[in-house]
Amino acid sequence: MKKYVTKRVLMGVLTIFVVFSINFLIIRLAPGSPISTIMGKDNDDPILRAALEAKYGFDQPLILQYFIYLKNAVTGDLGLSIIYNKEVLAIIAERLVPTLLLVLTAALLAVVIGTFMGMYAAKHEGSRVDVFFSGISYIFNSMPAFWLGLILIIIFSSVFGLLPSYGMISSRTTLTGVDYYLDVLKHMILPVSTLVLVEIPIYFRIAKSSIVQTLNEDFIVTLKATGMSERKIFNKYVLRNAILPTITIFGISMGYLITGVALIEIVFAWPGTGDLMLTAINQRDYPTLMGIYLIMSVSVALVMVIVDIIYATLDPRIRF
Amino acid sequence: MDRVLELKDFNVTYKNKTKKVYAVKDINLTINKGDSLGIVGESGSGKSTLAMAILRLLPERNTEITGSSNFANKDLVQASEKELKEIRWKELSVVFQKSMNALSPVHRIGEQIEDIYRVHKPNARKEEIFDRIKALLRLVNLSERVFKMYPHELSGGMLQRVAIAISLIHDPKLLIMDEATTALDVVTQGQILEEIVKMEQTLDVTRIMITHDISVVATTCNKIAVLYAGELMEVGYVKDILKEPKHPYTKGLLSSIPSLSGEKETLTGIKGHLPDLSQKYEGCIFAPRCEHAMEQCGKSKPSETQLTGENRVWCHLYSQSDRGEQLDISKNLAEVNR
Amino acid sequence: MVTTKKGWYVGRKNNNKLNRTLLKVKSDTELKFGLIGLSLLVFVAVFASLLVPFDPYFFGPDVLNKLGENQHILGTNHLGQDIFSMILYGVRTSLMVAVGSALISAVIGILVGGIAGYFGGKIDLVITECINAFMMVPTFFLILLIIALFDSSITNVMIVIGLTTWPSNAKLIRAQALSIRERTYVKSAVAMGETNLQILFKYIIPNGIFPVLANTTIGMSNAILTEAGLSFLGLGDPNVISWGQMIFMGKQYLTSAWWISTFAGIAIVFTVTVFYLLGDGLNHVLDPKHKSRKDA
Repeated sequence: MKKYVTKRVLMGVLTIFVVFSINFLIIRLAPGSPISTIMGKDNDDPILRAALEAKYGFDQPLILQYFIYLKNAVTGDLGLSIIYNKEVLAIIAERLVPTLLLVLTAALLAVVIGTFMGMYAAKHEGSRVDVFFSGISYIFNSMPAFWLGLILIIIFSSVFGLLPSYGMISSRTTLTGVDYYLDVLKHMILPVSTLVLVEIPIYFRIAKSSIVQTLNEDFIVTLKATGMSERKIFNKYVLRNAILPTITIFGISMGYLITGVALIEIVFAWPGTGDLMLTAINQRDYPTLMGIYLIMSVSVALVMVIVDIIYATLDPRIRF
Repeated sequence: MDRVLELKDFNVTYKNKTKKVYAVKDINLTINKGDSLGIVGESGSGKSTLAMAILRLLPERNTEITGSSNFANKDLVQASEKELKEIRWKELSVVFQKSMNALSPVHRIGEQIEDIYRVHKPNARKEEIFDRIKALLRLVNLSERVFKMYPHELSGGMLQRVAIAISLIHDPKLLIMDEATTALDVVTQGQILEEIVKMEQTLDVTRIMITHDISVVATTCNKIAVLYAGELMEVGYVKDILKEPKHPYTKGLLSSIPSLSGEKETLTGIKGHLPDLSQKYEGCIFAPRCEHAMEQCGKSKPSETQLTGENRVWCHLYSQSDRGEQLDISKNLAEVNR
Repeated sequence: MVTTKKGWYVGRKNNNKLNRTLLKVKSDTELKFGLIGLSLLVFVAVFASLLVPFDPYFFGPDVLNKLGENQHILGTNHLGQDIFSMILYGVRTSLMVAVGSALISAVIGILVGGIAGYFGGKIDLVITECINAFMMVPTFFLILLIIALFDSSITNVMIVIGLTTWPSNAKLIRAQALSIRERTYVKSAVAMGETNLQILFKYIIPNGIFPVLANTTIGMSNAILTEAGLSFLGLGDPNVISWGQMIFMGKQYLTSAWWISTFAGIAIVFTVTVFYLLGDGLNHVLDPKHKSRKDA
């Protein structure tokens, strides 16, 4: 177990290292000099230029630049945002909470709903409900999430006027207490639904296939032969075995979700990192853009390592 | 003598939209108390289907069982799911071939045993269960340490021993072992077979041993039933049949095993393959592969012929109606047997 | 195998492998629908210029035509471009991105994975750990970053998607190579003195390529979605018509002209579904363990 955890953590560190290296490489390979990439193309302030050159060691050999860059990144110095003129890390930190709110709510809802649908479909394999679920999961799996978000806006905001289509709070009112949270909740419905709808097929499919597979295992036949009730066999033995792939998928899918949420935030003008990213793209604010990339990559690696460790505690076969 | 299990006109048919497969046909078989019956046949002969059908563990959707199977004053073919649950493990238990997968990989062995014990004794105390299992594990030469272990931490032989111990938890009347030692290496297999025989001296259990390996039957059973393409070929005492097999198929099976005890023999085996079981055949099912097939064999199914004692054979060579011809044939047989 | 010693014995028919595969293709619903969909897409891509009622690059009067208005079946956008014609042309872009990036991803994946699996040992260890690390990198962000910093031409999009998605292919072919190199025909080739390179290209890769095929098809779906996502962020190639850009442009007219974004999205859903179906179908056909529902 200890060995496994160490291995996974090292893997995570290696990933982060790879991410940093790729980032370094991109800056050097990008058209124009790296300094103009960091400063912004239209900025020629000679004092700033000199300061940055000294800080990043652009006059040093490439390998040394690499270590300077690594040292800065590891200590959390991701540079200055050109447009906000603030520490990139600080800007991102401000935007992280709304993003996490969406991601975590959507992930939990999707895994619960998708798994229950999969359980039902597996128990009633070949039934109309199963065929319907499977068909619809193909369609939703093929949907660009941002497009689904737009369609939901057309239906629920434009046509029926039921739900707010942008922002996290109503702009014209100053709400406090419970009303404030209810307002946020109302604004969350559409973006969260969008994410949940595109995530459900993933959990539905994995739950269904692993339950069907487990039901065909030999030990299920043995348990049936002992006269154990179907319910106990299913609730204790089938589920415990079939849930393992769902946990693995949860980790991978969280990775997609953390990146996928950016597009959804843009659709719904949700004040999170995705929104920040769009501004950074439009304003050519590369330090911010790279900072988001680094932070997101680190988060994904972290989530995956945590999920792997949870998996190891649930599957005894992993404790070497 | 007490009858434990009595199969009458027992048929098992697999069916799907397009075709039917007649997997087990017209089995008439009685197992008495204290018997150990070996059911032998090549793979695909329907021996495992027979076991699963007796246990009623085949998926109901695409199987059809007809005839009757009387066990503990009930017809298992007609028994309701509730009645079956009552009987299962308390009266009738089973050890399967794939011991590696016979237990859930993510639960401790002790926990699974406890759950199985509580199926029939829901209020049993932990110590009671533990004492019982300890005794059973000792019977199969295992330490109680396996209680705290997971299946993947045990070897195949150990898992098979655990499976045997579990099968005996409630002192079943009848124990079915479906290729229980096939997946093991020869040494382990030998040890476990020895343990089974020794164990039964202290237990009051009747056993059915399903195997393709006639030597397993030779060491652990007193009776044998030879199955071919879902039909019985020959039934009787092991000591009689091994010494003097009657049915040409049994002879073939016996000649397929190399003799350990010396002289070099050529293994004749049996030529050809199992017939297509989705067809119904007029004549003897073994006839296409039988060296002694006569005209009669292609026309009608041989009926049961009572030989000495409980021994029975289904073969035209021994049919009453063909008595005259049989004499000729037995001469031929003597020649073939050398 | 078939012994017809006696007339009444019916033996099993000896199907050859190709026949069996064809049979599976026929019986696999996913693959069947996938192939029909793909033929349709290819047909539209090839004959797009003959099928369109309007030149999609032609800017009409700046009026948002509704559905069916002035012969515009699916209306027009704010620049007067015909939506239906744009969607037909968009097939070309999507297929190009899908095929181009899949090819790059497959070639890199096969080479890296094949080398790791065939040579094994330390080479394998290093490559596998790198693949694992690479698989944890959020690809969409990486692609986005590169496209934002470099040029956002469609060729670049294709190359970058290809360069960032090969690890899954590498993993698959590595597993195949590990088992293939133990086969007798590879061992005898080694004994006969064929070079490692020859063995890699003559035996390992051709025999292990099938799982990559199915995975590549699913990779094509993801490439189409990625391109759409980039276009939606305004990082699309302004010189080509793509569905993602149509959705991006339509976003501003969501309330007044819902059709701009809606139909482009439906086109994406259709195309991606086709590739998913193909991928799943191929997996079923190529996986000997998979049983079609009819057999079960």
